[in-house]
Amino acid sequence: MEKAALLRVGVLVLVVLAVLTAVEYWVAVGGLGGATLTLLALLALAKAALIVDYFMHVGKLFQPESGGH
Amino acid sequence: MTTAIAELKYQIYNRRLGLWLFMLSDSMVFLALLAARYYMQGTHRPPEVNQPLGLVLTSILLASSFFANRADASIAHGDRAAFLRHIGITIVLGVAFLILVVAVEWPEALHFAPPSTGYGTALFSLTGLHATHVLSGVIVLLFALLKGKRGGYTAEDHFGAEGSIIYWHFVDLVWVFIYPTLYLVG
Repeated sequence: MEKAALLRVGVLVLVVLAVLTAVEYWVAVGGLGGATLTLLALLALAKAALIVDYFMHVGKLFQPESGGH
Repeated sequence: MTTAIAELKYQIYNRRLGLWLFMLSDSMVFLALLAARYYMQGTHRPPEVNQPLGLVLTSILLASSFFANRADASIAHGDRAAFLRHIGITIVLGVAFLILVVAVEWPEALHFAPPSTGYGTALFSLTGLHATHVLSGVIVLLFALLKGKRGGYTAEDHFGAEGSIIYWHFVDLVWVFIYPTLYLVG
């Protein structure tokens, strides 16, 4: 992928992570009763999936022939 | 020549696999501490928890991951100047995170949740272990920065930098679960 395209995707991922964090904060402070714990867990898992997939490049683990490059 | 390239790719793959196995085993310690928090305290959270501070700490780590990713992309394209710039910003953000945890969060927490309490035990165990990971992450990023300055990485062979950056993302990943566990749940 070209550098400019990587930058665009990186900014997009950062924005999504920021929005998910803001939603987490709103869910916790707003207090959604019994659903709060479940929502917070789902939001944390979504953020983790983004970090593992995009930032940590977990997919490279399944491409031994390319060396990840 | 082709054999040498294949050998290099094989070595990089093995190093990457080793790093992931290390992170997987390391995450078990954090999982145990996260589970202990809920086992000891349920979803109880003291009302004095500094919510804005938690949000600031989270934002700092997310921003640092973005710049670490930029550093990774830069060195993969052979742009050494951008790599050094971005990894430098990542290190500064990591140090800022550490300072806030040690100089602001812990002194505050000592008043409303001393380590002798259940929540205090969870808070100081989780943030303490995480802080040591942040510190080690900053140190390995510093090594990558110094090696990068000496021209030690190329677009084809830069696993030292990439591994340091992946480890930094792992530190961020762990915080993604610590943040709601200590600051939001309850």
